[in-house]
Amino acid sequence: MANGWSVFIGLAIIIAMCVAAWVFAPKGENQVLWRSSLILSFVSCYLMWAITFLAQLNPLIEPRRSDLREKYIHH
Amino acid sequence: MGPARDTPFRSAEMSMVQLYISNEIGREVVNALGELGLVQFRDLNGDITAFQRVFTGDIRRLDNVERQLRYFHAQMDKAGIALRKLDLDIETLAPPTTSEIDDVAERCQSLEQRVSSLNESYETLKKREVELTEWRWVLREAGGFFDRAHGNVEEIRASTENDDAPLLQDVEHNNAAPDVERSFSGMNIGFVAGVIVRDRVAAFERILWRTLRGNLYMNQAEIPEPLIDPSTNEPVQKNVFVIFAHGKEILAKIRKISESMGAEVYNVDENSDLRREQVHEVNARLNDVQNVLRNTQQTLEAELTQISESLAAWMVLVGKEKAVYNTLNLFSYDRARRTLIAEGWCPTHDLPLIRSTLQDVTNRAGLSVPSIINEIRTNKTPPTYLKTNKFSEAFQTIVNAYGTATYQEVNPAIPVIVTFPFLFAVMFGDFGHAIIMLSAALAMIYWEKPLKKVTFELFAMVYYGRYIALVMATFSVFTGLIYNDVFSKSMTLFESQWVWKVPENFAGHQTVAAQLRDYGTGSTYRYPFGLDWRWHGTENDLLFTNSYKMKMSIILGWAHMTYSLCFSYINARRFKKPIDIWGNFVPGMIFFQSIFGYLVMCIILKWSINWFPTPTPENPHPVARQPPGLLNMLIYMFLQPGFVEAQLYPGQSTVQVCLLLLALVQVPILLFLKPFYLRWENNRARARGYRNIGERSRVSALDDDENDEGNNGGAVHGRHSDEDGEGVAMISGDLHGDDEEHEEFEFGEVMIHQVIHTIEFCLNCVSHTASYLRLWALSLAHQQLSAVLWSMTLGPALKVHGIGGAIYIVITFTMFFCLSCIILIIMEGVSAMLHSLRLAWVESFSKFAEFGGWPFAPFSFKQMLEESEELTEYLG
Repeated sequence: MANGWSVFIGLAIIIAMCVAAWVFAPKGENQVLWRSSLILSFVSCYLMWAITFLAQLNPLIEPRRSDLREKYIHH
Repeated sequence: MGPARDTPFRSAEMSMVQLYISNEIGREVVNALGELGLVQFRDLNGDITAFQRVFTGDIRRLDNVERQLRYFHAQMDKAGIALRKLDLDIETLAPPTTSEIDDVAERCQSLEQRVSSLNESYETLKKREVELTEWRWVLREAGGFFDRAHGNVEEIRASTENDDAPLLQDVEHNNAAPDVERSFSGMNIGFVAGVIVRDRVAAFERILWRTLRGNLYMNQAEIPEPLIDPSTNEPVQKNVFVIFAHGKEILAKIRKISESMGAEVYNVDENSDLRREQVHEVNARLNDVQNVLRNTQQTLEAELTQISESLAAWMVLVGKEKAVYNTLNLFSYDRARRTLIAEGWCPTHDLPLIRSTLQDVTNRAGLSVPSIINEIRTNKTPPTYLKTNKFSEAFQTIVNAYGTATYQEVNPAIPVIVTFPFLFAVMFGDFGHAIIMLSAALAMIYWEKPLKKVTFELFAMVYYGRYIALVMATFSVFTGLIYNDVFSKSMTLFESQWVWKVPENFAGHQTVAAQLRDYGTGSTYRYPFGLDWRWHGTENDLLFTNSYKMKMSIILGWAHMTYSLCFSYINARRFKKPIDIWGNFVPGMIFFQSIFGYLVMCIILKWSINWFPTPTPENPHPVARQPPGLLNMLIYMFLQPGFVEAQLYPGQSTVQVCLLLLALVQVPILLFLKPFYLRWENNRARARGYRNIGERSRVSALDDDENDEGNNGGAVHGRHSDEDGEGVAMISGDLHGDDEEHEEFEFGEVMIHQVIHTIEFCLNCVSHTASYLRLWALSLAHQQLSAVLWSMTLGPALKVHGIGGAIYIVITFTMFFCLSCIILIIMEGVSAMLHSLRLAWVESFSKFAEFGGWPFAPFSFKQMLEESEELTEYLG
């Protein structure tokens, strides 16, 4: 479902959103404000998501804990 | 040509304009321009003192009116009449005509006279009233003395004469009051009655005793109610005294002493009938006075109430009028032509609007002489005018707090609108806290209008930044979801990528490691959004998140700085300085990317390599490699070029050596290219002859050199002075004279500047990248703090059963919620905000913004009313 290609799929979606933001930004004096803010937000959020996703893509360590209860384990 | 419209992307294009206005409509024109608020007038009378200017007389007159209005306000305060405040959002004041202002002035004059005469008579009457009250008290109390004195006369006599007088005794025994009184005079005993302040009684007594050597009989009584001192309007406790003494001289002495002690001496008749009459008379007079007083008071209050209706409006009118005359004083007045000449800056794209406003005013006045507005060319640096709206205003304020952007350079507030709240959110990532903050921000925006009136300073500050808070909270919701933190707990939104690898005979209290869900299946499933919740509460949770957040900080920092650096390219393009692109932007960018861009690339590469491949049916025994430490890799890249400890990719050492060389080569380019290019350009220009340069950048010896850093002549369209207007001779000296620095090209200076720039840039690349690690540190601190708060309040409470547990939960929840709001949202929020602010100001702005501008401060009534401290109490 979610494997390494997700980063590129996400990128494609974000690029599409950025293009949409560029095209559909309300006209007028503040168009530049709309465009820059929306695109910058999309890119920032994408970056954060992609970094988080990539950090877990090929994990070097795995979660460990010693306070697990038996009941919890069995479901 | 610039864009057809001014956008917030850079400051508006400005023009210097000259206005020629007929003297008659000067006031109206300035009024209209003040309403418009788009022109910043220059002072054309710099060498004339404030007293010698043309309209000083009018300003004085208005000052007087203002003083009168303040006097009314003070009187209203005294009378306890509330001022009807003016709400400028609802009511608008039409610009007043001269006659209206005169009317106001005249009315104020007459009202002041009436109010002050009413006040005067009120005070006189009040004084009279106090006197009468005192007299009444004296009469009443002294009467008491006399009545009591009946029995004492004998003793008094006995003390003065040694023999008994049987006849008198008889008389006394008969208790015939008139006789007793007669007896006083018969004994040659006189008295002084009066009123004295209670504090002075002791001193008064002592002085009397000493001066008269004890030859007196003093009687006194306290007046139970405090009397009002008419001079200070404060209540004073007073005593009535009656002093009996022997002999006229002594009595005269007592009177003198009384007067000198501030006592009031009143005439009291010895005869009780007469005294009774006196009391009646005093009472009648007191009544009269009180009636008159009440009437006066009512009249005064009615007058003041009437004034209170329009006081605020008058105050605003007069304030505006004063501002108009102050502005008119900046104009140069041509007495011969009866023309006012004004000069000022205005946005180029608003010129038509100003022109039509001017036309309107002229037409309305029915003047045949047209008002002229002329755009003049100048080599002065225009002011920076950044248009804002409700949303971007607060962001712009953050930027302006650092400095005013250079004219026409990229407005640093544009990227700040997103980067500042986003970096804040990276540090503040907690879904729960973000939701609370978001609700607060939304509430402030929803009740925008009513909340605007709140004057509590701390709240007003938060309210001013409500849109910043909104964006910050929105991003925090996102980062909270990414960090998977809700009040330090995590949400299980998706299926985890980990499953616990439970040993066969699990007995509890045994370390259990998790295994990838798809281990050995050949497919891959990874947690799709944010951090896997399986990490929550594990022993090596921090080990993982620290590594993740540190790397994220570096990547976000790199992205932020690269993005900021790109603006310097846009600026160089805008100012048509290709040398800034080739001498600063390109080598800087290559230097930065070949070190930190490479680091970021390595981070991503390391993440994407599967270091411990899982066995699949096709490949049951995959080879595991040791992942390299990136920090060591970067250190060895500098210290031992060519040495690679653990390989990340084939050919790594060659690439690293090349990148290092590439970066090092940029340093001399950064150092020398720009200064030497500038010198070459300057020399070439000189070689062609001085005159020739004028085509590009020089008109007169006074004009500056385009090369220097200080002046980014965005407005350097062909420079020549204005030749078409009248009155030019008068103004031209002023045009080219003052406040502009004219620097000759000096190679040494340019070189030193560039050396500093280079050193700064290279060192900053390192230190600024490290500085972004604050993102990791702060977000770690926030997350740990909220975990601690949970474990100290709600956590243990949830383990308690029964009714006690319920009560415990209520108490700990209250604590948890309050502390969450105070510490984790407000305190941590402020701290994260300051760190984010620093990242914007230092790490980002230093890459592109010059901050060499001066702010545009147009003459605007709206701004004047907002900023005036004097008027705030009149405005609702």
